[in-house]
Amino acid sequence: MRADIIKTYKTLHTWTGLIAGMALFIAFFAGAMTMFKGPLDRWATPPGNDIQWVAEDQWLPLMQQTLAAHPAAAKGFTLHLQPGENVGAPLVWDANPERSRFDPQEPWGATLNERGELVTAPFETSPMANLIDMLHQTAGIPGNGHHLFGVYVMGAVSILYALAIVSGLVVLLPTLVKDFLIVRRGKNLKRFWLDAHNVVGLTSLPFHLMIALTVIVFAFHDFLYDALSVTVYKERPLFEMHEHHDRGVDTVAENLLPPEALLANLKTQAPDFVPREMMYMGPLGERAEVRIAGENLEHMVRGADRGFAAMDPYTAELEGTEYLPGQEDPWTEIVISIFALHFGSYGGDFMRWVYVFMGLAGAFIFYSGNLLWVETRRRKQRRNGGPVEQKRNTRLMASATVGVCWGSVAGIALSMSAGKWLHGTMAADSLYLWAYYLVFLASVGWAFWRGPGRGAVELIAFAGLAWLTVPMTALLAWLIPAVPAWVQTAPGPLAVDGSALLAGLLLLEMARRTAKRVFHGSTDSVWYAGAQPIVDEQAVDIREKPA
Amino acid sequence: MAKSKAATIQPDWISKTLAGALLGLGLAVAISGLFAWWGPGGLDAPNKVQFNMWVIPLYWMTVWSLVYLFRTGLRAWLVLGAVTAAAHVALFVTPQILGAS
Repeated sequence: MRADIIKTYKTLHTWTGLIAGMALFIAFFAGAMTMFKGPLDRWATPPGNDIQWVAEDQWLPLMQQTLAAHPAAAKGFTLHLQPGENVGAPLVWDANPERSRFDPQEPWGATLNERGELVTAPFETSPMANLIDMLHQTAGIPGNGHHLFGVYVMGAVSILYALAIVSGLVVLLPTLVKDFLIVRRGKNLKRFWLDAHNVVGLTSLPFHLMIALTVIVFAFHDFLYDALSVTVYKERPLFEMHEHHDRGVDTVAENLLPPEALLANLKTQAPDFVPREMMYMGPLGERAEVRIAGENLEHMVRGADRGFAAMDPYTAELEGTEYLPGQEDPWTEIVISIFALHFGSYGGDFMRWVYVFMGLAGAFIFYSGNLLWVETRRRKQRRNGGPVEQKRNTRLMASATVGVCWGSVAGIALSMSAGKWLHGTMAADSLYLWAYYLVFLASVGWAFWRGPGRGAVELIAFAGLAWLTVPMTALLAWLIPAVPAWVQTAPGPLAVDGSALLAGLLLLEMARRTAKRVFHGSTDSVWYAGAQPIVDEQAVDIREKPA
Repeated sequence: MAKSKAATIQPDWISKTLAGALLGLGLAVAISGLFAWWGPGGLDAPNKVQFNMWVIPLYWMTVWSLVYLFRTGLRAWLVLGAVTAAAHVALFVTPQILGAS
């Protein structure tokens, strides 16, 4: 391959990667966590939802009594078919239907007691899992308009990310066969990091291309649809509306069909579909519709973990099968596959863990990419024979990378624990956000103050300890029930504590190894933070300082 | 052409990047539109519009990431501009050819 092409694409790779890297690190780390958003939500929900569950044949009376007593529920409600730590009641509605999605929720739940009487109460949900999802989507960049501002930023970041992927591949092409999957673990640490960066990058190339392209769509789909509308579809509507039909019955609560009848009808048409929730949209209006969300392990699904079927709650007629797993038309099938590829919502828990691993591997690529830029700058200076004192912007970039990356890792963990210990002291949303941003910004400040070398060791260790607070909280809450924190002891939530323990230990080990390099590694590095550097311009190899 | 000695590519970052961003997007929309008309099911295939929207970034980023292979920014604008214009002309005349309203 021609040298000028390589040079051009190397520059492209360096700068796109450098600009996008830190935001992508946060998005990937938080994204790995959202693979288990369900267990996280159950983990974070305070106990106390010991609510009477209802039998199938009570669903209809429950709905009718709720609609009679609480007009706000006529806007829409959700019937939960199974109990769960994070499900307040069998029937749940939003007491403030006019709220924007940025206002705090006001969920109410309804159930029937043993005598068949309606019992309703507001209940508490946890915003935590959703905030981690927001962090995943925005990398923590605040602000919102019609969409979250951070989503647009991440769309732009993903354009750079796509350019970085292709240019990185172009740079690797000449040595692709010779060096394929080789990691050289020699004295040359830069070579080792570069090899690792390349191996992980190459092996997960399709995953990264898919993520980059889907995020561009998530951010800019409105504009792309507009462009298609203007240039291609013109006066044709882009989306067909479901035809409004006369169903022959009045849309009043008495005429609602029993939910179990709808489910029975769905079962005959989609036997593999396992329904979880039934979302009644405007159940007393002309356009009454019930959206049945559920899983189907045999098929890819449209939502993050759900497929959907739409039914008429008065006739049990299936209205839309576009998103019913296995019954889509071919175009929707393709689009659903793309969604599912981003969400990792196929193949069950095994695939979720694969996605966690891919997400963390992605975070490694971005972190190592930034470190490599720093390392490369260092070598250039040595060849010129300039002072070994590292350049200011190199140090700043290294500090920023260390602070942003480990600050976000520590921030998530500490806000998770703070959410339990400080529960009830302020609105839960604010509590999580304050805790995260406080830790994140303090870590960034710390990295700049302490310099990249010391900062890295201290912040990685800090992140490790931060993650250990999660299982420690669970342990304390279990041993001393009087503390404000709690522990949810079902396997799903406990797996959150177990994973946090593992994460904490791995981070502490990483801190130990980083410390070895920082204090005993080569002296002419931005990472060196040991005793007075030995200035030796002739050094070719990176030498170990005798311990 | 590629073998000529003067063929070393110039970085021309700004002009090439703009060509990739703007012309690349224009070309991607046109390709997607041509597929919408000529691809399976034609323009009226239900839900095909979602697919057509989804693939735009794929076309777009392919063009954008390869635009730096042009020898100069000017060439990128001329060649890519001509291709984009041609694609939009094709898209414009397609309804007449297919006899659609």
